[in-house]
Amino acid sequence: MADQQDNLQENVSKSHNDSTTHFGYQTVDKNEKESKVASVFHSVAAQYDVMNDLMSFGIHRLWKRFTIDASGVRPGNKVLDLAGGTGDLTAKFSQLVGREGKVILADINSSMLNVGRDKLRDKGLVQNIEYVQANAQYLPFEDNTFDIVTIAFGLRNVTDKDMALRSIFRVLKPGGRLLVLEFSKPEHEVISKAYDFYSFNILPKMGELVAKDGDSYQYLAESIRMHPDQETLKGMMDNAGFEQTSFKNLTGGVVALHKGYKF
Amino acid sequence: MPQQALCSVIEIAVNQALALNIHGMKSLTVLDQKTFTIQLSELGFPLSFSVNENKVLVTSLTERSDCTVNTSVQTLLALKKQQQITELIKQEKLDVQGDLKVAQQFANIAESLEIDWQSELAKHIGDIPTYKLSQFGSNLIKKFTFATQQIQADASEWLVHEKRLVVTASQINHFSQQVNTLTSHTNDITERIEKLSSAIAIKTTIT
Repeated sequence: MADQQDNLQENVSKSHNDSTTHFGYQTVDKNEKESKVASVFHSVAAQYDVMNDLMSFGIHRLWKRFTIDASGVRPGNKVLDLAGGTGDLTAKFSQLVGREGKVILADINSSMLNVGRDKLRDKGLVQNIEYVQANAQYLPFEDNTFDIVTIAFGLRNVTDKDMALRSIFRVLKPGGRLLVLEFSKPEHEVISKAYDFYSFNILPKMGELVAKDGDSYQYLAESIRMHPDQETLKGMMDNAGFEQTSFKNLTGGVVALHKGYKF
Repeated sequence: MPQQALCSVIEIAVNQALALNIHGMKSLTVLDQKTFTIQLSELGFPLSFSVNENKVLVTSLTERSDCTVNTSVQTLLALKKQQQITELIKQEKLDVQGDLKVAQQFANIAESLEIDWQSELAKHIGDIPTYKLSQFGSNLIKKFTFATQQIQADASEWLVHEKRLVVTASQINHFSQQVNTLTSHTNDITERIEKLSSAIAIKTTIT
Protein backbone atom coordinates (compact mmCIF):
# COMPACT_ATOMS: atom_id res chain seq x y z
CA MET A 1 0.00 0.00 0.00
CA ALA A 2 2.90 2.31 0.83
CA ASP A 3 4.35 1.66 -2.66
CA GLN A 4 1.04 2.56 -4.29
CA GLN A 5 1.02 5.79 -2.31
CA ASP A 6 4.61 6.54 -3.34
CA ASN A 7 3.72 6.02 -7.03
CA LEU A 8 0.65 8.17 -6.69
CA GLN A 9 2.69 10.88 -4.98
CA GLU A 10 5.27 10.72 -7.77
CA ASN A 11 2.61 10.93 -10.49
CA VAL A 12 0.95 13.87 -8.83
CA SER A 13 4.29 15.66 -8.54
CA LYS A 14 5.13 14.99 -12.20
CA SER A 15 1.75 16.13 -13.46
CA HIS A 16 2.13 19.58 -11.87
CA ASN A 17 2.68 22.63 -13.96
CA ASP A 18 2.88 26.27 -12.87
CA SER A 19 -0.85 26.73 -12.63
CA THR A 20 -1.56 23.53 -10.68
CA THR A 21 -0.72 22.21 -7.26
CA HIS A 22 -1.70 19.27 -5.12
CA PHE A 23 -4.60 18.98 -2.76
CA GLY A 24 -3.81 15.73 -1.00
CA TYR A 25 -3.31 13.27 -3.86
CA GLN A 26 -5.41 15.32 -6.29
CA THR A 27 -3.95 17.79 -8.76
CA VAL A 28 -5.94 20.99 -8.64
CA ASP A 29 -5.69 24.50 -10.01
CA LYS A 30 -3.68 26.79 -7.71
CA ASN A 31 -6.66 29.11 -7.33
CA GLU A 32 -8.79 26.18 -6.31
CA LYS A 33 -6.57 24.82 -3.53
CA GLU A 34 -7.13 27.75 -1.19
CA SER A 35 -10.88 27.32 -1.17
CA LYS A 36 -10.61 23.55 -0.87
CA VAL A 37 -8.28 23.83 2.15
CA ALA A 38 -10.56 26.50 3.57
CA SER A 39 -13.57 24.18 3.37
CA VAL A 40 -11.60 21.44 5.16
CA PHE A 41 -10.74 23.74 8.05
CA HIS A 42 -14.20 25.35 8.22
CA SER A 43 -15.46 21.81 8.62
CA VAL A 44 -13.02 20.65 11.32
CA ALA A 45 -12.54 23.91 13.30
CA ALA A 46 -15.02 23.12 16.08
CA GLN A 47 -13.55 19.68 16.78
CA TYR A 48 -9.94 20.61 15.95
CA ASP A 49 -8.48 20.44 19.48
CA VAL A 50 -10.31 17.24 20.42
CA MET A 51 -9.18 15.58 17.21
CA ASN A 52 -5.59 16.75 17.69
CA ASP A 53 -5.49 15.15 21.13
CA LEU A 54 -7.10 11.97 19.86
CA MET A 55 -5.03 11.61 16.70
CA SER A 56 -1.67 12.30 18.31
CA PHE A 57 -2.51 10.74 21.71
CA GLY A 58 -1.75 14.16 23.18
CA ILE A 59 1.83 14.18 21.89
CA HIS A 60 1.16 17.34 19.82
CA ARG A 61 1.35 19.25 23.11
CA LEU A 62 4.93 18.03 23.62
CA TRP A 63 5.86 18.90 20.02
CA LYS A 64 4.54 22.42 20.64
CA ARG A 65 6.41 22.67 23.94
CA PHE A 66 9.56 21.66 22.12
CA THR A 67 8.92 24.49 19.65
CA ILE A 68 8.52 26.98 22.49
CA ASP A 69 11.76 25.76 24.10
CA ALA A 70 13.57 26.13 20.75
CA SER A 71 12.18 29.63 20.15
CA GLY A 72 14.42 31.44 22.65
CA VAL A 73 11.55 33.84 23.28
CA ARG A 74 12.20 36.77 25.63
CA PRO A 75 9.97 39.30 27.38
CA GLY A 76 9.17 42.14 25.01
CA ASN A 77 9.47 40.02 21.84
CA LYS A 78 7.02 40.35 18.97
CA VAL A 79 5.87 36.93 17.80
CA LEU A 80 3.83 35.91 14.76
CA ASP A 81 2.03 32.59 15.20
CA LEU A 82 1.19 31.91 11.58
CA ALA A 83 -1.55 29.40 10.72
CA GLY A 84 -1.97 29.53 14.49
CA GLY A 85 -5.38 27.86 14.39
CA THR A 86 -6.75 27.35 17.85
CA GLY A 87 -3.87 29.22 19.46
CA ASP A 88 -1.91 26.61 21.43
CA LEU A 89 1.42 28.29 20.68
CA THR A 90 -0.04 31.78 21.03
CA ALA A 91 -1.23 30.96 24.56
CA LYS A 92 2.28 30.03 25.68
CA PHE A 93 4.00 32.86 23.81
CA SER A 94 1.55 35.39 25.23
CA GLN A 95 2.61 34.43 28.76
CA LEU A 96 6.31 34.42 27.92
CA VAL A 97 6.60 37.75 26.07
CA GLY A 98 4.91 39.60 28.93
CA ARG A 99 3.11 42.91 28.84
CA GLU A 100 5.74 44.67 26.72
CA GLY A 101 5.63 41.94 24.09
CA LYS A 102 3.01 41.11 21.51
CA VAL A 103 1.74 37.95 19.84
CA ILE A 104 -0.15 38.00 16.55
CA LEU A 105 -2.30 34.95 15.93
CA ALA A 106 -2.75 34.79 12.17
CA ASP A 107 -4.73 32.26 10.18
CA ILE A 108 -6.21 32.32 6.70
CA ASN A 109 -9.31 30.54 7.97
CA SER A 110 -11.89 32.63 9.82
CA SER A 111 -13.48 29.62 11.54
CA MET A 112 -10.17 28.52 13.02
CA LEU A 113 -9.38 32.08 14.05
CA ASN A 114 -12.75 32.41 15.80
CA VAL A 115 -12.27 29.14 17.69
CA GLY A 116 -8.75 30.27 18.68
CA ARG A 117 -9.91 33.71 19.80
CA ASP A 118 -12.75 32.27 21.92
CA LYS A 119 -10.41 29.74 23.51
CA LEU A 120 -7.73 32.29 24.41
CA ARG A 121 -10.26 34.77 25.77
CA ASP A 122 -11.77 32.02 27.91
CA LYS A 123 -8.29 31.44 29.32
CA GLY A 124 -8.06 35.14 30.19
CA LEU A 125 -5.33 35.79 27.63
CA VAL A 126 -6.34 39.11 26.11
CA GLN A 127 -3.90 41.90 26.74
CA ASN A 128 -1.03 41.20 24.36
CA ILE A 129 -2.68 39.15 21.61
CA GLU A 130 -3.94 40.39 18.26
CA TYR A 131 -5.85 38.38 15.69
CA VAL A 132 -5.27 38.75 11.96
CA GLN A 133 -6.86 36.82 9.12
CA ALA A 134 -3.96 36.53 6.71
CA ASN A 135 -2.63 34.48 3.84
CA ALA A 136 0.94 33.29 4.57
CA GLN A 137 1.93 34.12 0.99
CA TYR A 138 0.95 37.77 1.33
CA LEU A 139 1.58 38.70 4.96
CA PRO A 140 -0.01 42.07 5.74
CA PHE A 141 2.85 43.31 7.92
CA GLU A 142 5.71 45.71 7.41
CA ASP A 143 9.22 44.47 6.70
CA ASN A 144 11.38 43.54 9.75
CA THR A 145 8.48 43.40 12.22
CA PHE A 146 8.81 40.14 14.17
CA ASP A 147 11.46 38.58 16.41
CA ILE A 148 9.98 35.12 15.98
CA VAL A 149 7.65 33.58 13.42
CA THR A 150 6.19 30.12 13.98
CA ILE A 151 4.08 28.04 11.66
CA ALA A 152 2.88 24.81 13.24
CA PHE A 153 1.11 22.22 11.09
CA GLY A 154 0.21 24.92 8.59
CA LEU A 155 2.86 25.08 5.88
CA ARG A 156 1.70 21.94 4.10
CA ASN A 157 -1.69 23.56 3.49
CA VAL A 158 -0.20 26.65 1.87
CA THR A 159 -0.59 26.76 -1.92
CA ASP A 160 2.82 28.25 -2.70
CA LYS A 161 5.22 27.30 0.10
CA ASP A 162 8.24 29.07 -1.42
CA MET A 163 6.28 32.29 -1.65
CA ALA A 164 5.12 31.91 1.96
CA LEU A 165 8.71 31.37 3.16
CA ARG A 166 9.83 34.50 1.29
CA SER A 167 6.96 36.44 2.83
CA ILE A 168 7.92 35.22 6.32
CA PHE A 169 11.55 36.15 5.67
CA ARG A 170 10.45 39.67 4.74
CA VAL A 171 8.49 40.28 7.97
CA LEU A 172 11.19 38.85 10.26
CA LYS A 173 13.58 41.30 11.92
CA PRO A 174 17.30 40.78 11.26
CA GLY A 175 18.36 38.28 13.93
CA GLY A 176 14.84 36.88 14.05
CA ARG A 177 14.05 33.21 13.69
CA LEU A 178 11.50 31.07 11.91
CA LEU A 179 10.28 27.82 13.41
CA VAL A 180 8.37 25.40 11.19
CA LEU A 181 6.72 22.53 13.03
CA GLU A 182 5.28 20.13 10.50
CA PHE A 183 4.61 16.48 9.79
CA SER A 184 7.54 14.96 7.98
CA LYS A 185 9.10 11.71 6.84
CA PRO A 186 9.67 9.00 9.48
CA GLU A 187 13.30 7.97 9.83
CA HIS A 188 12.75 4.21 10.01
CA GLU A 189 10.90 1.90 7.65
CA VAL A 190 8.98 0.19 10.48
CA ILE A 191 7.73 3.50 11.87
CA SER A 192 6.89 4.62 8.33
CA LYS A 193 4.75 1.54 7.62
CA ALA A 194 2.96 1.71 10.96
CA TYR A 195 2.39 5.43 10.42
CA ASP A 196 1.00 4.84 6.90
CA PHE A 197 -1.37 2.20 8.19
CA TYR A 198 -2.53 4.50 10.98
CA SER A 199 -2.88 7.53 8.68
CA PHE A 200 -4.84 5.86 5.90
CA ASN A 201 -6.89 3.31 7.80
CA ILE A 202 -7.53 4.57 11.32
CA LEU A 203 -7.32 8.36 11.03
CA PRO A 204 -10.16 8.86 8.50
CA LYS A 205 -12.40 6.49 10.49
CA MET A 206 -11.59 8.42 13.66
CA GLY A 207 -12.47 11.65 11.82
CA GLU A 208 -15.73 10.14 10.63
CA LEU A 209 -16.62 8.95 14.11
CA VAL A 210 -15.69 12.02 16.16
CA ALA A 211 -15.83 14.98 13.76
CA LYS A 212 -18.35 13.35 11.35
CA ASP A 213 -15.93 14.22 8.55
CA GLY A 214 -13.79 11.36 7.25
CA ASP A 215 -12.89 13.17 4.00
CA SER A 216 -11.09 16.02 5.76
CA TYR A 217 -8.95 13.56 7.70
CA GLN A 218 -8.27 11.59 4.52
CA TYR A 219 -6.99 14.91 3.10
CA LEU A 220 -4.88 15.39 6.24
CA ALA A 221 -3.18 12.02 5.72
CA GLU A 222 -2.63 12.69 2.01
CA SER A 223 -1.35 16.23 2.53
CA ILE A 224 1.23 14.92 5.02
CA ARG A 225 2.53 12.50 2.40
CA MET A 226 2.72 15.26 -0.21
CA HIS A 227 4.63 17.63 2.07
CA PRO A 228 8.37 18.03 1.37
CA ASP A 229 10.64 15.84 3.48
CA GLN A 230 13.13 17.24 6.01
CA GLU A 231 16.02 17.96 3.64
CA THR A 232 13.79 19.41 0.91
CA LEU A 233 12.13 21.82 3.31
CA LYS A 234 15.51 22.83 4.69
CA GLY A 235 16.60 23.56 1.11
CA MET A 236 13.45 25.61 0.52
CA MET A 237 14.24 27.68 3.62
CA ASP A 238 17.79 28.23 2.38
CA ASN A 239 16.43 29.36 -0.99
CA ALA A 240 14.09 31.82 0.73
CA GLY A 241 17.12 33.48 2.32
CA PHE A 242 17.22 31.88 5.78
CA GLU A 243 20.62 31.14 7.30
CA GLN A 244 21.87 28.54 9.78
CA THR A 245 18.89 26.38 8.86
CA SER A 246 18.55 23.11 10.71
CA PHE A 247 15.91 20.59 11.64
CA LYS A 248 15.26 18.26 14.51
CA ASN A 249 13.20 15.11 14.06
CA LEU A 250 10.60 14.44 16.73
CA THR A 251 8.92 11.08 17.41
CA GLY A 252 11.12 9.30 14.90
CA GLY A 253 10.64 11.89 12.17
CA VAL A 254 6.83 11.78 12.20
CA VAL A 255 7.18 15.48 12.92
CA ALA A 256 10.17 17.75 12.34
CA LEU A 257 10.98 21.18 13.69
CA HIS A 258 12.86 23.32 11.15
CA LYS A 259 14.67 26.40 12.33
CA GLY A 260 16.22 29.22 10.32
CA TYR A 261 17.51 32.73 10.99
CA LYS A 262 17.36 35.99 9.11
CA PHE A 263 20.59 37.96 9.38
CA MET B 1 11.07 14.93 24.41
CA PRO B 2 11.25 13.65 28.00
CA GLN B 3 12.19 17.13 29.19
CA GLN B 4 9.04 18.63 27.66
CA ALA B 5 6.98 15.87 29.28
CA LEU B 6 8.62 16.58 32.65
CA CYS B 7 8.04 20.34 32.26
CA SER B 8 4.41 19.66 31.44
CA VAL B 9 3.87 17.46 34.49
CA ILE B 10 5.64 19.93 36.81
CA GLU B 11 3.62 22.84 35.38
CA ILE B 12 0.32 21.07 36.00
CA ALA B 13 1.37 19.99 39.52
CA VAL B 14 2.66 23.46 40.51
CA ASN B 15 -0.42 25.30 39.25
CA GLN B 16 -2.75 22.77 40.85
CA ALA B 17 -0.91 23.09 44.18
CA LEU B 18 -1.01 26.91 43.98
CA ALA B 19 -4.73 26.86 43.20
CA LEU B 20 -5.34 24.73 46.31
CA ASN B 21 -3.10 26.83 48.57
CA ILE B 22 -5.16 28.03 51.54
CA HIS B 23 -3.16 31.29 51.63
CA GLY B 24 -4.30 32.12 48.10
CA MET B 25 -2.23 33.49 45.25
CA LYS B 26 -1.23 36.82 46.85
CA SER B 27 2.38 35.78 47.33
CA LEU B 28 2.63 35.04 43.62
CA THR B 29 1.79 38.59 42.55
CA VAL B 30 5.20 39.90 43.68
CA LEU B 31 6.79 37.53 41.19
CA ASP B 32 4.64 38.52 38.22
CA GLN B 33 6.73 38.55 35.00
CA LYS B 34 9.71 37.08 36.88
CA THR B 35 11.53 33.91 35.93
CA PHE B 36 13.58 31.60 38.10
CA THR B 37 15.75 28.95 36.45
CA ILE B 38 17.24 25.95 38.17
CA GLN B 39 19.84 23.77 36.50
CA LEU B 40 20.19 20.50 38.41
CA SER B 41 23.32 18.51 37.56
CA GLU B 42 21.26 15.28 37.71
CA LEU B 43 18.78 16.50 35.09
CA GLY B 44 21.04 17.84 32.36
CA PHE B 45 18.57 20.51 31.24
CA PRO B 46 17.25 23.68 32.86
CA LEU B 47 13.84 24.12 34.43
CA SER B 48 12.52 27.67 34.19
CA PHE B 49 9.57 28.85 36.25
CA SER B 50 7.96 31.99 34.81
CA VAL B 51 5.11 33.72 36.59
CA ASN B 52 2.44 35.40 34.52
CA GLU B 53 -0.98 36.51 35.79
CA ASN B 54 -0.93 34.11 38.77
CA LYS B 55 0.07 31.17 36.61
CA VAL B 56 3.42 29.45 36.56
CA LEU B 57 4.84 28.38 33.21
CA VAL B 58 7.51 25.70 33.23
CA THR B 59 9.84 25.59 30.23
CA SER B 60 13.45 24.82 29.36
CA LEU B 61 14.03 28.40 28.18
CA THR B 62 16.96 30.16 29.81
CA GLU B 63 16.83 33.40 27.82
CA ARG B 64 14.46 35.26 30.13
CA SER B 65 15.74 34.21 33.55
CA ASP B 66 15.98 36.76 36.38
CA CYS B 67 17.87 34.31 38.58
CA THR B 68 19.65 31.09 37.62
CA VAL B 69 20.79 28.52 40.17
CA ASN B 70 23.18 25.73 39.19
CA THR B 71 23.28 22.98 41.78
CA SER B 72 22.47 19.34 42.59
CA VAL B 73 19.56 17.69 44.41
CA GLN B 74 21.86 16.82 47.33
CA THR B 75 22.93 20.45 47.75
CA LEU B 76 19.32 21.59 47.60
CA LEU B 77 18.44 19.26 50.47
CA ALA B 78 21.42 20.51 52.46
CA LEU B 79 20.33 24.08 51.77
CA LYS B 80 16.86 23.37 53.11
CA LYS B 81 18.18 21.78 56.27
CA GLN B 82 20.96 24.14 57.22
CA GLN B 83 20.60 27.57 55.60
CA GLN B 84 24.23 27.68 54.62
CA ILE B 85 24.20 29.45 51.24
CA THR B 86 27.57 31.19 51.63
CA GLU B 87 29.34 28.00 52.67
CA LEU B 88 27.88 26.04 49.72
CA ILE B 89 28.82 28.81 47.25
CA LYS B 90 32.40 28.77 48.64
CA GLN B 91 32.48 24.99 48.16
CA GLU B 92 31.31 25.56 44.55
CA LYS B 93 28.31 23.34 45.16
CA LEU B 94 25.94 26.21 44.50
CA ASP B 95 26.20 28.80 41.73
CA VAL B 96 23.73 31.68 41.74
CA GLN B 97 23.52 34.17 38.87
CA GLY B 98 21.15 37.11 38.82
CA ASP B 99 18.80 38.46 41.44
CA LEU B 100 18.98 36.20 44.52
CA LYS B 101 15.82 37.85 45.86
CA VAL B 102 13.81 36.18 43.07
CA ALA B 103 15.09 32.74 44.13
CA GLN B 104 14.28 33.50 47.77
CA GLN B 105 10.76 34.62 46.87
CA PHE B 106 10.17 31.41 44.91
CA ALA B 107 11.52 29.40 47.87
CA ASN B 108 9.25 31.29 50.29
CA ILE B 109 6.19 30.47 48.18
CA ALA B 110 7.16 26.79 48.09
CA GLU B 111 7.64 26.75 51.87
CA SER B 112 4.41 28.57 52.64
CA LEU B 113 2.36 26.27 50.45
CA GLU B 114 -0.40 24.74 52.58
CA ILE B 115 -3.22 22.64 51.21
CA ASP B 116 -6.35 21.62 53.12
CA TRP B 117 -6.44 18.09 51.70
CA GLN B 118 -9.48 17.08 53.76
CA SER B 119 -11.69 19.86 52.37
CA GLU B 120 -10.51 19.16 48.83
CA LEU B 121 -11.12 15.43 49.18
CA ALA B 122 -14.54 15.98 50.77
CA LYS B 123 -15.63 17.88 47.67
CA HIS B 124 -15.15 14.73 45.65
CA ILE B 125 -16.02 11.81 47.93
CA GLY B 126 -18.12 13.40 50.70
CA ASP B 127 -17.56 14.25 54.38
CA ILE B 128 -17.94 10.83 56.03
CA PRO B 129 -15.65 8.89 53.66
CA THR B 130 -13.12 11.72 53.97
CA TYR B 131 -13.29 11.52 57.78
CA LYS B 132 -12.91 7.72 57.71
CA LEU B 133 -10.09 7.94 55.19
CA SER B 134 -8.22 10.61 57.15
CA GLN B 135 -8.63 8.58 60.38
CA PHE B 136 -7.34 5.51 58.60
CA GLY B 137 -4.48 7.60 57.24
CA SER B 138 -3.55 9.07 60.62
CA ASN B 139 -3.74 5.60 62.24
CA LEU B 140 -1.52 4.27 59.51
CA ILE B 141 0.96 7.09 60.08
CA LYS B 142 0.89 6.49 63.86
CA LYS B 143 1.53 2.77 63.36
CA PHE B 144 4.25 3.47 60.86
CA THR B 145 5.87 5.99 63.23
CA PHE B 146 5.62 3.51 66.13
CA ALA B 147 7.07 0.72 63.98
CA THR B 148 9.91 2.98 62.88
CA GLN B 149 10.65 4.00 66.49
CA GLN B 150 10.48 0.35 67.58
CA ILE B 151 12.86 -0.74 64.84
CA GLN B 152 15.24 2.08 65.78
CA ALA B 153 15.08 1.13 69.49
CA ASP B 154 15.63 -2.56 68.74
CA ALA B 155 18.50 -1.75 66.44
CA SER B 156 20.23 0.45 69.00
CA GLU B 157 19.63 -2.19 71.72
CA TRP B 158 21.18 -4.80 69.48
CA LEU B 159 24.13 -2.56 68.60
CA VAL B 160 24.82 -1.45 72.17
CA HIS B 161 24.28 -4.72 74.10
CA GLU B 162 23.60 -7.82 72.04
CA LYS B 163 26.20 -7.19 69.38
CA ARG B 164 28.89 -7.50 72.08
CA LEU B 165 27.70 -11.06 72.82
CA VAL B 166 27.73 -12.16 69.24
CA VAL B 167 30.67 -14.40 68.34
CA THR B 168 33.00 -12.75 65.90
CA ALA B 169 34.52 -14.44 62.84
CA SER B 170 38.00 -14.40 64.40
CA GLN B 171 36.64 -16.05 67.56
CA ILE B 172 35.07 -18.77 65.44
CA ASN B 173 38.38 -19.26 63.61
CA HIS B 174 40.24 -19.45 66.91
CA PHE B 175 37.72 -21.95 68.24
CA SER B 176 38.03 -24.04 65.04
CA GLN B 177 41.79 -24.03 65.37
CA GLN B 178 41.49 -25.18 68.99
CA VAL B 179 39.11 -27.96 67.97
CA ASN B 180 41.53 -29.02 65.21
CA THR B 181 44.45 -29.08 67.69
CA LEU B 182 42.39 -31.09 70.15
CA THR B 183 41.40 -33.54 67.41
CA SER B 184 44.99 -33.98 66.43
CA HIS B 185 46.01 -34.54 70.11
CA THR B 186 43.21 -37.06 70.52
CA ASN B 187 44.34 -38.85 67.37
CA ASP B 188 47.89 -38.96 68.72
CA ILE B 189 46.74 -40.37 72.06
CA THR B 190 44.51 -42.89 70.28
CA GLU B 191 47.49 -43.97 68.20
CA ARG B 192 49.68 -44.26 71.31
CA ILE B 193 47.02 -46.24 73.17
CA GLU B 194 46.64 -48.57 70.20
CA LYS B 195 50.41 -49.05 70.09
CA LEU B 196 50.54 -49.70 73.87
CA SER B 197 47.59 -52.09 73.63
CA SER B 198 49.28 -54.07 70.85
CA ALA B 199 52.57 -54.09 72.83
CA ILE B 200 50.78 -55.40 75.95
CA ALA B 201 49.02 -58.01 73.83
CA ILE B 202 52.34 -59.23 72.39
CA LYS B 203 53.95 -59.41 75.90
CA THR B 204 50.96 -61.34 77.28
CA THR B 205 51.21 -63.86 74.41
CA ILE B 206 54.99 -64.40 75.03
CA THR B 207 54.61 -64.93 78.80
